[in-house]
Amino acid sequence: MIEVKDLQKSYESGLVNDRISLFIPQGSIFGLLGPNGAGKTTLIRMLATITKPDCGTILFNGEPLELKHARHMGYMPEERGLYKKMSVWDQLLFFAEIKGVTKKQARQRAKYWLERLEISEWKNKKMEELSKGMAQKVQFLCTIIHEPKFLILDEPFSGFDPVNADLVKELVLEMNKRGTTILFSTHRMDNVEELCDELAIIHQGKIVVSGKSTDIRRAQYKQTYEVGFSSNAPHEWFETHCISQRTNPEAYIIYELSCKDEKEKNTLIQQAQAHSDWVLFRENLPSIHEVFVQTVS
Amino acid sequence: MKNIRIIFKREYLSRVKNKSFILLTLITPLIFVAFYAAVAFIAVQSGKSNEYTQVNYLDEHNILSKAVNKDTLSNFIFHKVDLPTEMKELLNNEYLALLHIKDKDKQSIDSLEFISSQTPSITRINKLQSYLIDDIFTQNLEDLNITNKQLNDLKPAIQFKTLEAKLDGDLESSNSGLKSGIGMFMAFVIYIFIFIYGSMVMRSTIEEKTNRIVEVIVSSVKPFELMLGKILGVAAVGLTQFVAWIVLGTGLITVITLFLGFSAGDSSLSQEMTSVSQNEAMANDTLATLMQSIESLPFTKIATVFLLFFVGGYLLYSSLFAAIGSAVNQDSDTQQFMFPVSMPLVFGFIIAQSAVFQDPNGVIAKVFSYVPFTSPVVMSARVAFGISWLEIFTSFFILIATFLFMVWLSARIYRVGILMYGKKPKWKDFAKWIIRKN
Repeated sequence: MIEVKDLQKSYESGLVNDRISLFIPQGSIFGLLGPNGAGKTTLIRMLATITKPDCGTILFNGEPLELKHARHMGYMPEERGLYKKMSVWDQLLFFAEIKGVTKKQARQRAKYWLERLEISEWKNKKMEELSKGMAQKVQFLCTIIHEPKFLILDEPFSGFDPVNADLVKELVLEMNKRGTTILFSTHRMDNVEELCDELAIIHQGKIVVSGKSTDIRRAQYKQTYEVGFSSNAPHEWFETHCISQRTNPEAYIIYELSCKDEKEKNTLIQQAQAHSDWVLFRENLPSIHEVFVQTVS
Repeated sequence: MKNIRIIFKREYLSRVKNKSFILLTLITPLIFVAFYAAVAFIAVQSGKSNEYTQVNYLDEHNILSKAVNKDTLSNFIFHKVDLPTEMKELLNNEYLALLHIKDKDKQSIDSLEFISSQTPSITRINKLQSYLIDDIFTQNLEDLNITNKQLNDLKPAIQFKTLEAKLDGDLESSNSGLKSGIGMFMAFVIYIFIFIYGSMVMRSTIEEKTNRIVEVIVSSVKPFELMLGKILGVAAVGLTQFVAWIVLGTGLITVITLFLGFSAGDSSLSQEMTSVSQNEAMANDTLATLMQSIESLPFTKIATVFLLFFVGGYLLYSSLFAAIGSAVNQDSDTQQFMFPVSMPLVFGFIIAQSAVFQDPNGVIAKVFSYVPFTSPVVMSARVAFGISWLEIFTSFFILIATFLFMVWLSARIYRVGILMYGKKPKWKDFAKWIIRKN
């Protein structure tokens, strides 16, 4: 779908994107992670055809990215807003129209979405009359009204209340099922873990890690296992062999143990079975959060 | 082109459909009419006050005529007394005054005393003064056995008719006052409109920028198309409002003139009236000349100049305002840039007020009606005095050429500015943005 090669962009303040290469597969939900100021928005602006790179290429379905591709993209910037004095209806039609949707189609879709989100009665309200939550819904609709093939959402859940955040999540997943490729830019790891199957971490203008979410976690795999017991009492063998131990919120004691091969793993299982309060045994894959923190720090 | 149309449509419709726009468009002509009606009413009423002040006058040497009694202009009633009115009485009654005349000689009266509990207005005192002068003047005439009429007949009645020589040998009546009035009005309207609609473009740009709408739009529309669509959309709003005002204004004036039973065509009656006094005949004559001057005004030229230079001037300035709007982050940051940009317009207005009316075809007026930043105002101030089509189109061509250049320049600032957030821009940044590559 999107292929980025050696992309470079600098402003007066210096190099913001440094030789970035990425591949966003068709139909994926791609997470672009990075701390504030890492160059996420700069990269996104180039992908959304708002700015042009200093050098490097972006391919959209194999073709060099041009303004004409923008009508197949939906972009929701991090900081949001719509025309205050315009009605919800006019707003939806306007955004559909600048993306090349015919008037007739735009009307049909606007009607469909307003009914779908049960907000038809707001049709003639001006944006300034709407509550923040309502405005957020309308904003999202403006982003997807032209049924984009590629949807870019910059920090989509920031500023959304939990109910709207769930609604957006649901709609995003639904669009993805129908074939829309989605790019999330965020620094909130929980959403990434939940939604994204591909991700890239950008740090100081460079891509430090990218690929399938599980592959990335596996790459950082330290070959450790977690064994948990429902009682808080010390378990002697584990006490001596573990790398670390902790108590989880349910008051289980959890030991982390290194495990280099099958033989060691079997010993581990045997030792665990010896205890009647044994409840947990799992491979200790790092969370995206851990990967992120480790890569970035 | 399609994108410009979409942006244009949004800009136009969202403004025209706005309730406050509709209200303002409908109400403004009414406010104007109401304002003038109020001014006229006050003017009429103030002359018609029925509160008279009684002036007890003590004329020690009887220099005033016996007829002196009531002056409706200054609202004084005169009452001759033999003794000075007492202070106590004056203090208790604000409609009572004392005029003490101690002079003997009618030729020089310099010891008049006017005493009242409240200081009278300067107008009333002036009127009182001329009333007294008239009274003594008439007496002096009578002493010489001359009547007022005889004296008036000695003064010839003089009236100017200013005529303008035309190329074809015709003479056309012209009226400098009327032309100045029309010129001033048009210059003022253009000046105000450029500011109003120019800042509309600027605020709209700032709104899109602060709401980040611009990021969504420029991902499908080129910044240049966005800017041009916006400028043209607001221009259409301005023209709509203007046409609405002309239609409404004409309608209102028609209604009012019908209501008052006066129509401009009546001036022809003046020729039929034979038994009118000299003064009235002269007034009617003036009216007829005025009508003639109005009829002889180059209306097509005036309308063309107004339209061309209103649109041209607006386009030029609004492209600058759009560039400013794109660079700043909030309304309050615009001040420092607005001032230098609007200076030429203010300057043009000053030129229109001074140079044009002193010498509408002088060097200064001519030069500034070619300078694109001042030409909209100066040209429209001059047009009623007669300018050739060649001059008009040359100046307009310069204006449009400058607009095209400025819109290109502004677009270069705009495309960078709309995506710049954070620090307040400086003039230096503008220059940097202009030369920056895509």
